[in-house]
Amino acid sequence: MRGWISRLTLNQTLAVAAVALGALALFAAPYPGSKVTLDARELALVVGTEADHIEAPELAAWILENRADYRLIDLRTEREFAAYSIPTAVNVPMNVLTDAGLGRQEKIILYSEGGIHSAQAWMLLRAQGYKSVYMLKGGLEEWKDQVLFPAVADNPTATERARDERLKSISAFFGGQPRSAAAVAAGAAATPAMATAATPASPAVVAPPSPAGGAKPAAPKKKKEGC
Amino acid sequence: MMAPFLKYGMFGDETSLVLAFLIGIGFGFFLERAGFGSARKLVSQFYLNDLAVFKVMFTAIVTAMLGVTYLGWIGWLDLSLVYLVPTYLVPQIAGGLILGAGFVIGGYCPGTSVAATATGRVDGLIYLVGIFAGMFAFAEMFPLLKGFYLSGAGEAMTIPGAFGLPYGVVVFAVVLMAVGGFYGAGLLEKKFATPVE
Amino acid sequence: MNPYLAGIGLGLVLLAAFVLVGRGLGATGAFNSVIAWAVSTVSPGHARSNEFIAGYLGDGTSSPLKSWLLFEVIGLFAGAMFSGLLAGRAKVMIEKGPRVSVRTRLVMAFAGGVLMAFGAALARGCTSGQALTGGALLNLGSWAFMMMVFAGAYAVAYFVRWQWR
Repeated sequence: MRGWISRLTLNQTLAVAAVALGALALFAAPYPGSKVTLDARELALVVGTEADHIEAPELAAWILENRADYRLIDLRTEREFAAYSIPTAVNVPMNVLTDAGLGRQEKIILYSEGGIHSAQAWMLLRAQGYKSVYMLKGGLEEWKDQVLFPAVADNPTATERARDERLKSISAFFGGQPRSAAAVAAGAAATPAMATAATPASPAVVAPPSPAGGAKPAAPKKKKEGC
Repeated sequence: MMAPFLKYGMFGDETSLVLAFLIGIGFGFFLERAGFGSARKLVSQFYLNDLAVFKVMFTAIVTAMLGVTYLGWIGWLDLSLVYLVPTYLVPQIAGGLILGAGFVIGGYCPGTSVAATATGRVDGLIYLVGIFAGMFAFAEMFPLLKGFYLSGAGEAMTIPGAFGLPYGVVVFAVVLMAVGGFYGAGLLEKKFATPVE
Repeated sequence: MNPYLAGIGLGLVLLAAFVLVGRGLGATGAFNSVIAWAVSTVSPGHARSNEFIAGYLGDGTSSPLKSWLLFEVIGLFAGAMFSGLLAGRAKVMIEKGPRVSVRTRLVMAFAGGVLMAFGAALARGCTSGQALTGGALLNLGSWAFMMMVFAGAYAVAYFVRWQWR
C-alpha cells in the first residue's frame, strides 16, 4: 500500500485524490430540495404572541421616516401591483417567492390583499430558514382602512383633533383621504372611492421617498449579476 | 446553512466590493502563474503543443465543483443562493463558436487579456480595446439582435436537473472525464512538440 | 507552475467567491458596466432606451461602476501584475510568432477582441463567467458554451497559424 503511494508523482497523486473525492460524491445531493423543516414549537410561539405582525400605521411611519432596513414584499399578481401598491414595495408573486433572492437575514415584510396569502408565504419563508419575516396585519385592507382612508371624528375633541391631523397628513402623503367616522360607522363602503383615489394619479404626491441603499427594488431592475 | 455569506447578510454590498478586489487578486495571480498572460501559451492549446488551458481550466472546474458539492452536501452552502446564469442554448452555442474564433485570432479571452495587459503585453491591451469596441457595437445593435439573444430556453438549469440525473453521478462523471482528459493531454503533448515556457 | 496546481489555486479562488458572495468569477460583465457608465455619462437617455445597456444600469440608485465584477477585474489586474513582477515575466512586449508583423498582430488582436465581445455578449459570459464558473456549477448552458468555444477555436486555428508560428 505505502509502496505504490510513495511512488506516485505529484500529478498522479492529485488524480487519485480527485477520483476518490469524485467517487465519494456519487451520493451527494448538494441542492437543498423543496422539502423543509419546521420548528413547530418556535413557530407556534411566534404566532401566538403575534410577534410576526406589523400594524399598518407602524409601516406607514417607517415609510415616512425613510427607513431602509426592511424589504416590503407585495405578494399579489403583477396586475394588482400595477394598479396600486404601497410605496417602496416590491412585487414578488407567490410562485416566485423562494427564487426572489431575498436574504435569509433580511427583515422581510409581506403583504397581500387580506391576510391569508401573506400568512402562507410567511410560513413558507420561515420554513426555509428566513430569520425575520413579518406580515402586514390585515393586509392591504387594513392599510386602506387605517392609513389611506382613516376614520376621523366629525366633532373631534382636543385630543382627537391632534390625532386626526396626524392621520390626515399621513393619509395625504400616501395619496388617500380621511373619511368621517360617522360614515364609517354607518357602513359606507370605502372601496368605491378608493379605487380612484388610491390610484397614484399624481406621482408627486404618492412618490415614495425611495429609501437609500438597502431596500432597492428587486427582480426586474436589478443590475445584471452574471459575467 | 451559513454560506453564501453575503446572501445570509453577514456583510453588506460595500464589503462585498472589497472582497471582489481580493478575490480578483487571487484570480489574476493564478492566471498569470499558469502562464496565461501570454497569448502564445494560450493559443498553443489549439495547436496541441501545450494543453495548459485545458489542464488549468478543468482542474479549476473539478476543484470548485467538488468544493460546492461537498459544502452543499454537509449543509454549509446553500447552492440555491449561488447565482446560475440562465441557459439560452441557441445563442450560447453561437456565442461559444464566435468566442472560440476570437480566442485563437486575438490570442486571449477577456480575463487573460487583463492579465496580459497587467504584465505589459501591448497586444493584450489592444485586445481589450477591441472588446470595448465590440461590446459597444453589440449594445448599439442590440435591437436587431434581441430576438436571437433571447431565443432558447432562458431558465437557469443544471445538467443533473435537465437530464434528471443524480447530482453526484454527474460530478463523478466530470471528474473521470477530466482525469481521462489530462492523461490524453499528456499523450498529445508528447506527440506535438514542446510546451511553451 | 505546474498547471494542475495553478488550476487548484484557481478553483479555490472560485470556491471562495461562491462561499463568500454566492457568485462566480467573471470578466466581461465588468467591461459591460464600464460601457454602460460611459454611454450613460455621454447620453443618459440613449443609455436608458437601450435595453442591453439599461440592464447594467440597474435602478439608477447606484453608479454602474459600483459593480462587483469591475472590482474583481481591477483585482485581477493587480494580482496578475504582482505575479508577473514576482516571476520577472512583466515586460512591455508583443506576443506573436516570428512570421507576422507587429502591425498585423495588433490588428488581429483588435479583431479578436471584437469577436470575443460579440460571442461573450450572446453567451452571457466569457471563459471565466461561463465556462469556469458555470462549469463548476454544472450549468447546462455553460457546458454547451464551453464545448463550442473549443470547437470554434480548433476550427479557426489552422487558418491563423501564420500568426503564431
